Amino acid sequence: MIEHAGHLPGLPREALRWREVSHRAWGESATIALPELDEAQAAALCAHVRDNARARLKRMETARIITAIDAAIARLLDRAHPLRQKAEHLLPIVTGYDRETVRLGLTGYLKTFRKPQLLRFLAEDFANPGMLDGFQPTPKGGYLRVHGPELLLHVWAGNVPALSLWSLICGLLVKAGSIGKLASAEPLTAGWFASLLAEIDPEIGECLAITWWKGGEAAAEPVFLRAADTVMAYGGNETLTTLRAKLPITTRFLPHGHKIGFGVIAREALDSRKAPALARLAAHDVTRYEQQGCYSPQMLFVESGGRVSPAEFARHVAQELAALASRYPRRALSQGEAASIASWRGAQETRAMDGAAELLGDPSDPWSVVHVAAPEALSPTGLNRTLKLVAVESLDDVPALVAPYRSFLQTAGIAAAPERLFRLSGQLGEVGVSRIAPLGRMTAPEAGWHHDGRFSLLDLVTFTEIEQSAETAAEGFAPYVD
Amino acid sequence: MTQAEIIAALLAFIALPDVSEAEFEAMALKVFAYQFRNNAPYKRFCLQRGRTPLSVRRWRDIPAVPITAFKDLTLSCSPPEAAERVFMTSGTTQGIRGRSYHPTLDVWRRSMLVNFRARFMQGRERIRMGILFPDEAELPNSSLATYLSLAKHECATPDSQTFINAAGLDLGGLLSALEQAEKSSEPYALLGASYSFVPVLDALAASGRRFALPEGSRILDTGGFKGQSRELGPDEFYDGLSAAFGVPRSSCINMYGMTELSSQLYDDGNAACPSVKSGPHWIRSRVVDPLTGTDLPEGQRGVIVHHDLAHFNCVAAILTEDAGEIVPSGFKLLGRVDGEASKGCSVAVAEFLAAARG
Repeated sequence: MIEHAGHLPGLPREALRWREVSHRAWGESATIALPELDEAQAAALCAHVRDNARARLKRMETARIITAIDAAIARLLDRAHPLRQKAEHLLPIVTGYDRETVRLGLTGYLKTFRKPQLLRFLAEDFANPGMLDGFQPTPKGGYLRVHGPELLLHVWAGNVPALSLWSLICGLLVKAGSIGKLASAEPLTAGWFASLLAEIDPEIGECLAITWWKGGEAAAEPVFLRAADTVMAYGGNETLTTLRAKLPITTRFLPHGHKIGFGVIAREALDSRKAPALARLAAHDVTRYEQQGCYSPQMLFVESGGRVSPAEFARHVAQELAALASRYPRRALSQGEAASIASWRGAQETRAMDGAAELLGDPSDPWSVVHVAAPEALSPTGLNRTLKLVAVESLDDVPALVAPYRSFLQTAGIAAAPERLFRLSGQLGEVGVSRIAPLGRMTAPEAGWHHDGRFSLLDLVTFTEIEQSAETAAEGFAPYVD
Repeated sequence: MTQAEIIAALLAFIALPDVSEAEFEAMALKVFAYQFRNNAPYKRFCLQRGRTPLSVRRWRDIPAVPITAFKDLTLSCSPPEAAERVFMTSGTTQGIRGRSYHPTLDVWRRSMLVNFRARFMQGRERIRMGILFPDEAELPNSSLATYLSLAKHECATPDSQTFINAAGLDLGGLLSALEQAEKSSEPYALLGASYSFVPVLDALAASGRRFALPEGSRILDTGGFKGQSRELGPDEFYDGLSAAFGVPRSSCINMYGMTELSSQLYDDGNAACPSVKSGPHWIRSRVVDPLTGTDLPEGQRGVIVHHDLAHFNCVAAILTEDAGEIVPSGFKLLGRVDGEASKGCSVAVAEFLAAARG
């Protein structure tokens, strides 16, 4: 069976060219057909989405959009719904993540988009969400209304299941006509969600499209890049640089580059009762999505002086990773991924030859933990369950160790008493960390999260302001003027 | 074994016409025991792997050190400051240079010469050489410069010349030597770094010059392009050499060597690429799974490990960053093993290093 990816209102399936891609994992295979639009089809799609958004979406009450999203999410959360069952079947084959990881990850993530949470998204960014529907009075006098982009282009990357929904839903909340470019590594969820929305509220379904093209090569690419007034893009710096260079200067570009997450563990969290539980949470964050998320930890800074030493804590984490490996088996690795791990392990072994590091886990284990006793700066590991623990004398040492990599910083998982949590958060914020999470929640940001420290909705919109004096002046032209 | 004893044993081993698997194994285990005892970082590495001379019974189980270790560690069984020669890598990829310490070059030279005669000279005592690489005096820390100088000293006719020095390539000198060689009936040999041939090929192509070197002429290139010249695919490169110099691709021999070894491996010409590489009886190569280090069956792509017994003072077993596959008469070299970018949105090593370099 072939699964056709995307959601392409106004373009009949038979009229399009499809590129078939086979995926294989966990002893099963699946063929995904990705749409390949020519320039005329791309232009037609852009026009269709923009015109429909203008005529329909922008005239809808936000409440109606929220109701539709909520209904679509409810179906995706229902394990008996055929689409949810399809997702649970196909996503492990396409992304390589094991079934349980996909199932738990989907449920945990989709919960962030129920109606109460969507209202939270709005409340996070707008003092008065009514501004999305009409002019609202402001405290200084005058009135404000916000408008989303006419055509918002999402360029998604990576294989973390359903990650695309975050920006897609944000776009819908601000009534943007949206076109999403699927990531080759997870080309399914966004299209399913869009089709579900179209089924629930056909008018909304005309205002968004999900497609695919080969980045940098397709003839259709310039059409999309010229048509969008706002582009939200995910990917490595190289990809983002290339993309930015192709955009007109008037296009608003919102890039989300690759990031590196880390954890910090204070000595007060390291006693014989708390440490094992904490190690389990840290191992969970490492295991979930195989450290492929921007929020995934690659390094833990562990403070010395607790009743459990950093070296002992490393053993606890290793033990928990070993335990999790049987419940959530690691994805099959590509040659390149195996080489990344081997090269990282090799470098750590070299350090161990000097006595400067201790490497836990055999090469054949699906995880590796290395522990170093001297402070060292943040650095990526080999990914796919490879973690470095760095002992530090004091939590105050940590900001300087991560500061050189400001542009790569985002999430820090912190286990510390409240006073020190705030002190460290302040220091880390100064060097560029934008999200503080507890261990165990690093890969599950809250609804309304300020992704990369930015506004999910506010960055998308433009304000129209009626100054108070304009209203006053207008009074002079009213039919009832004296 | 003392250093003198291991050197004597190795020289005798190299002098043998060929050895059996059991003989190689016995010598490999002796070298391993010597290195385990005298090379402290290597000993720690082996202990970490749970391998000691007492537990290791097969040469394939001798722990192989990742080649990057030569950059970060001093791997030497003798005091490094007393080394007769230190060979350093060019450091082109990361700026840090890997080092190999040689308390004496006796074993290195013997290994080079016996093998060079067999694989490149092929029965000739001497041949007129043109060398496209600076000599040993100019680059004393370059194992390739030392290799080519030794080749010239031992196997070249007196009218052989080196055409690259600090001032660069002496193209005029090279062209007139090639002209002379073309007119004579004596075979000619061109030897150098792969990237040194590229400007010569470009200059010849620009001027439309071609040579037809006498039968028996041959070419030796090594090391790839390393960003020193434009990159050429193997077929483009050997077709270019063959057309420019009139030497058939089957007489274009690629030497595969590295600073971190004391022996070289060769193919028997590049009529077809990738060619099959093999070494002399004192080096054996394996192809392993990069993660587990276990041997892969013939025809399966993995990472190459060399066990070069002549590299007695450092570490004989080296895990390279080269991809390859085992074939009946040796192995095929399939380029470098590169790490992969993250499949998601976490930053991976390559991007991070690129940013750190600025």
